[in-house]
Amino acid sequence: MTAATSAPVRPRTPRATSAVPLSAARLLRVELRRNAMPWILPLIAALFWFDSYRPSIGTAQLYGLRTFWNMGQGHTIIDFGPFVAAVAAWMGSRDGRRGLADLVTATARPRWATQLVTWAATAIWAVAAYLVFVAAMFVMYAHQGVGGTPPWWWVAAGVTAVAAFSAAGFAIGAYWPSRFAAPVAAFAGFLAMAMSSQAGFKYTSGWALILPTNSNGNFDGNAQGDSGIFYPWLPDLPIARIMFLAGIAVVALGLTGLPARAGGRGLRRAAAVLTLAGVVSAGTAVGLARTAQESAHGMIIPALHDAANDAPISYTPACGRAAGVPVCLNPAYRRWLPDVTAALAPVLAGVAGLPGAPAQASQVAAAYPSGDGGPPQAVTLGGHPLMLRLSLGLLNMPGPCGFCDGPVAAKQFADQIRLLFAHAFVGAGSGSGGPAQQAVQAALLRGAGIPFAAQPRLLATTGNFPESGLGPAAGPVYAAARRFAARPAAARHAWLAAHLAALRAGRLTLQELP
Amino acid sequence: MTTVGLHRPVPGDAPPPVTGTRRDRAAAGWRLARLYLVSRRVPMALALLAGLGALLWAALHWRWNIAGGAAARKFIPLTIQTGAAAVIAVTTYGPFGELERAAGRWLPWLRLGAAVALTSVAFGALAAGAAAGGMPGGTLALLRNLGGMTGIGLLSAAVLSGAFGWTGPMAYLLITEGALAHRSTTPWVWPTRPPADRGGAICAGLVIAAGLVLITVCGPRESGRESGPGS
Repeated sequence: MTAATSAPVRPRTPRATSAVPLSAARLLRVELRRNAMPWILPLIAALFWFDSYRPSIGTAQLYGLRTFWNMGQGHTIIDFGPFVAAVAAWMGSRDGRRGLADLVTATARPRWATQLVTWAATAIWAVAAYLVFVAAMFVMYAHQGVGGTPPWWWVAAGVTAVAAFSAAGFAIGAYWPSRFAAPVAAFAGFLAMAMSSQAGFKYTSGWALILPTNSNGNFDGNAQGDSGIFYPWLPDLPIARIMFLAGIAVVALGLTGLPARAGGRGLRRAAAVLTLAGVVSAGTAVGLARTAQESAHGMIIPALHDAANDAPISYTPACGRAAGVPVCLNPAYRRWLPDVTAALAPVLAGVAGLPGAPAQASQVAAAYPSGDGGPPQAVTLGGHPLMLRLSLGLLNMPGPCGFCDGPVAAKQFADQIRLLFAHAFVGAGSGSGGPAQQAVQAALLRGAGIPFAAQPRLLATTGNFPESGLGPAAGPVYAAARRFAARPAAARHAWLAAHLAALRAGRLTLQELP
Repeated sequence: MTTVGLHRPVPGDAPPPVTGTRRDRAAAGWRLARLYLVSRRVPMALALLAGLGALLWAALHWRWNIAGGAAARKFIPLTIQTGAAAVIAVTTYGPFGELERAAGRWLPWLRLGAAVALTSVAFGALAAGAAAGGMPGGTLALLRNLGGMTGIGLLSAAVLSGAFGWTGPMAYLLITEGALAHRSTTPWVWPTRPPADRGGAICAGLVIAAGLVLITVCGPRESGRESGPGS
């Protein structure tokens, strides 16, 4: 072996840099063609339809509700992630399973570089499929006339989650070239999502907001916000989640470049830096999530918040009339305008001409619930001239209702609106109101066609009256209400005209009712 | 190397079968079973099943429950049972392909024995894990759910390939999750049914019976494609 030592050192030929991207592109093309991901996509498509799309069409035609299950609670990610991780693990373990690890390590290109190309091909298939499936879902929604705008930032978070699952699965396969790598990666994916749900449903603030299945504060199935209808979807939390998930992806990919066989010292050093960068990104995102505060329009992260996102969405209202009073709704709610006018007509007719009767009814944005006092009142009175403000986003609209026991009947909705109107009209505020206010409220409802006997149940089933029981319509309040309702309409009208201000101020007692 | 000089063997001139004492035959049988189990990575599968049992114990002991009622509480134990079924399904993958099928007289019985034995071991490991208490549905539900999901895994292995046998149980888990969330109670989604429910037990029994028959008779699908699910 002396020839080698005596041979002259040959100067290294300059690298043909232009050929590198070309050969990498060629390698990527080969990997895209030889990838296992397309084989699993039909199964994912079926599961996506079953688990993400099908349940969503049972909800009202509003983006906030349609996407609550599949985007807010992360079911599009649950449908994709574990399977993508498994196939990525299969691809990552390919060389090891086939006993080719030494062979590919000896090739001209560093092993880590070729591994990254294999991962890139896998991730491209998965992300492209995710985008196609979500686009198809939104096209179906558009065809069904779903109101509002899609939550694009949450789609971006989903894309990053799919990429992160692919990177994590690939790392499992690269480190453990076994036939069990794929099922273990899928299992780990499912377990991670289950644990994410476990923490995500419990915590409404703090670090757990970073978890991709946590819908608190941005999608809320109990008291729905009007994101994408009255105001834009806030990007703060999605940006933090993108940072977190991208950090996980970078950590996973960086880890595959750390072993000695991955490449030269410089490359491994770069992999270590990449891993650290991923850790920093994920850690920063968790720290940002801890600073998140719930606002009326969703979660705000001060460091990421752009005030421009607070600007309301402009629109031309859809208007109708109820008992001569104009009723205007956001165009996203146009389909329910006849229900709303029909619901308001009898109660507005009952108070027509009174000095405290509203001159107009208009829909206003529903705010995200804040504090422990339950959802805010959905119907309020205020402004000059007096306006009836309808926060319809807080109510279950007539028709399909994915989070109720069944579809919401038009009568159920109308009774609820009438109760909330009467409650607002007597000035009962956020509680049940005083006895005199309750009695006048009961009499107004009776005048709108809701018998006294049916009122306790209506109160109990409406979210804003938690202290109301399911007892009979009896007691001093209902006795006074019956007495008041028995008087002629003109006498009731005259009494209300004279005493409405005192009634709203809570200064009247039951004995003072006629 | 040519075929010159080769002749069809004269009838009755076949080499005598290998004979030996009962002990020799038992040793050969044991060796065959051992080689089969090693080729199917059964030792690793046993380790994974033991790990899943420990995980179930931890999940029940520390109450890793998803908020949302009784149905949601089933999800993490079901995920672990699915993992066990997926591991069993993947052990059906054989590296020798046609060669083994042509020469392996005992192969169907080995496949059946391995599947039944691993299912029993998985049940034992998970039942031991369930000893932490609070297992939704108890041991009866565990037996039904694990058995049914293993059947799905074996069917997937027969249809897709042993290496991709895990897809069936994992897809079934998602279907179960949707059914639990939306209160569907078809017996074909047996985890949604009460533990003593006859319909759910029959469906799960049918599925594992079909899976065992198919994997015994046909074996896992083998694909010649390099990048396909069978590769």
